[in-house]
Amino acid sequence: MKALMDWIDDRSGIRSLVKEALYEKVPGGARWRYVWGSCLTFVFFTQVVTGTLLWMFYSPSTQTAWESVYYLEYHVAGGWFLRGVHHYMAQAMIVLLVLHLMQVVIDGAYKAPRELNFWFGIMMLGVTLALSLTGYLLPWDQKGYWATAVATNLMAEVPIIGPAIQKIVVGGVEYGHHTLTRFFALHAGVLPASLVGLVVVHIYLFRKHGIHVKEPRPKRDSYFWPDQVLKDGVACLAVLLAVVTLTIYFHGAPLGPPADPSNEFPARPEWYFLFLFQLLKYVPAFWGAVIIPAFLVLWMFLQPFIGKTKAGHNFNVGFWWTLIAGSVALTALAISEDQANLKHGAAIEEANWQAERGVKIATNDGIPTAGAVSLLRKDPENLGRRLFASHCSSCHRYNGHDGRGYPVDDPQSAADLAGFASVEWITELLDHDHYTSAKYFGGTEFKDGTMARKVLAKYTEEEKKLLPEIARLLANGAELPYESALDEEKKEELLGLFYNDDFKFEDGRACIECHDIDSEEEGYAPDLTGYGSREWLIAFIENPEDSRFYGKKNDRMPCYGRDSKLKSEEIEIVVDWLRSKPSNF
Amino acid sequence: MTEKDEQTDDNKNRRKFIVTSTIGASAACALFPFASGLPSVLDPVTKKSDGASTPWTKVTALASLPEDGTPTKFEVVLEKVKDAWTTYTNIPVGAVYLARSGDKVTAYNLKCPHLGCAIDYRSKSNDYFCPCHNSTFALDGSVTTENSPSPRGMDTMDTKIEDGSVWIRFQQFRPNIAEKIPLS
Repeated sequence: MKALMDWIDDRSGIRSLVKEALYEKVPGGARWRYVWGSCLTFVFFTQVVTGTLLWMFYSPSTQTAWESVYYLEYHVAGGWFLRGVHHYMAQAMIVLLVLHLMQVVIDGAYKAPRELNFWFGIMMLGVTLALSLTGYLLPWDQKGYWATAVATNLMAEVPIIGPAIQKIVVGGVEYGHHTLTRFFALHAGVLPASLVGLVVVHIYLFRKHGIHVKEPRPKRDSYFWPDQVLKDGVACLAVLLAVVTLTIYFHGAPLGPPADPSNEFPARPEWYFLFLFQLLKYVPAFWGAVIIPAFLVLWMFLQPFIGKTKAGHNFNVGFWWTLIAGSVALTALAISEDQANLKHGAAIEEANWQAERGVKIATNDGIPTAGAVSLLRKDPENLGRRLFASHCSSCHRYNGHDGRGYPVDDPQSAADLAGFASVEWITELLDHDHYTSAKYFGGTEFKDGTMARKVLAKYTEEEKKLLPEIARLLANGAELPYESALDEEKKEELLGLFYNDDFKFEDGRACIECHDIDSEEEGYAPDLTGYGSREWLIAFIENPEDSRFYGKKNDRMPCYGRDSKLKSEEIEIVVDWLRSKPSNF
Repeated sequence: MTEKDEQTDDNKNRRKFIVTSTIGASAACALFPFASGLPSVLDPVTKKSDGASTPWTKVTALASLPEDGTPTKFEVVLEKVKDAWTTYTNIPVGAVYLARSGDKVTAYNLKCPHLGCAIDYRSKSNDYFCPCHNSTFALDGSVTTENSPSPRGMDTMDTKIEDGSVWIRFQQFRPNIAEKIPLS
């Protein structure tokens, strides 16, 4: 063994190399404040290794990016863990970079003779941010797609060459296959390779000038090995532990719904870019994307010279603290504004719902070659709520919201249709106070119609007790999937009540006097045969002005089918969706 | 033992402890990234194949096969094939030679059991020939030469005739061994 080691050493000189690497003098002894550089090296090493492993699973195209990540996340042993470590390690890298930078600034380690190394550090900060930016597009989920759209639009702000840069990065005008292949090449090739190069120079320059010792020196001089390495190792283990904890706690990295340019999403960048996002609410994009960054970069490069005097150094430190405090404040503002915004909250919940739904369908039905986004686009559950939101919710509500969970700005002017035609829903409808409330017909002309004034308002206590039975009869006709059918005998009995066979309702207040069930005649009010059933509801939405329904008394309900406002398959989807679930009032 | 000796011993122990802990911490940090992805990388080996039951697939009509037993090549189209995340429908997955004898049909996999090249049927010599490493097979699929590169005859699979159609259970087998073992 020794002979072999001797031979290797003789041919390579490895021993003196290791010795030189490990026995570097640490004046003033090993200290915790020196650990950040090693931690960053460890984190970058972890990213290179986990990134390469992720590469074995990733497929960069618009039909396979989300899909391959989904497969890794849900069908490959430990896939969620691998991806989670890469995701949270990336965030740890940002935190550590800021700590390392502030350490250098406060200790004055950026000043002569270490100017060059400080500049290399700033460049590495830039490359790391670019790695983050290119990384979160790769899963091709809604978040990555929409956040990257904003980021690349900012590139176009650069004078003269901006639009060309944007096209080069995006791989064309539209986001697509080439956006992914380019971002992937940047993220897994160009940027890490640049970072390796910069790290080598950074460490070389660091060794050339030695460690920058913060006075006063607490202890006798010692060596990098093993004292400082132990401290570095412990710090790295702490980072590792934090990342593993986050990964396990959140069960890996989030995966949003597959990217869909036709489906809105509340674009927010990752948390470390939120300050920039918030800043763009106050300043024009040109200032946020060009002038301010250009000024900051210029200042950073001049910083070693400004810091030559005591006052200059204090200015530098103060300016960095101001920048950090400003970023923290902007980030906090961004978060609190989002939290106060009900629509944003609803949009996030909707996106989470779509993500879960997408994964569920993909797992049950498999993903076709057109990609997972086509599954969600065809999913009646997803389409139903979206159609309701865009075509029905300006008047109607669904559990008080727009069908997807978003609050609606317009005042409610038609009935809330969650649980439509269920026993519970009809029972409430037949109560005068409910009938005339905003939840039912309060926003319509029917509030003052015959049914409200002359029928519901006049019912005696005895008659009111019969109304839930009528509701059971009507709901039976709806054949809702979540309600059980009446047996024939009960149905006959209730029909008798509807027809007022035993004169339990007084004249003028029996249902049959205006509404029909199972008869050829046309009543004065909507025909209730199969009320709320699939067929009834489709016909009603197609043309509520038909004599079978409201006729001329229709109050503002559009004729979606007759006037081609919705395709018939769209009406069917809305109807199926409306009828699929009970309300959750 | 003098006091000074004890001190040196303490120092030695302290240093030993530091060196051991340092090596331990460094090794943990160095190995962790690899370990975090190991289960995923090994997934294809550890995952049990879900293709326990091979489905029957319709290939062609019995009437389309020559009655004299001349092999005819058909592509095999499966109704549903999963490749990692994608589920394909009605996609060709391979090809077979079908040879008829009366009301019985034998299906031979197009892939050579040697190393998986595509086998040709040679009408001139009325036998099968693999153009990669020159294995030859008789019409019944058996190896014809003594030192054939192929360790076994052509791979057959289950067939049945139903309503005048030929159905097969399409399977691939492990190459280059004497036994015929389905891939899983």
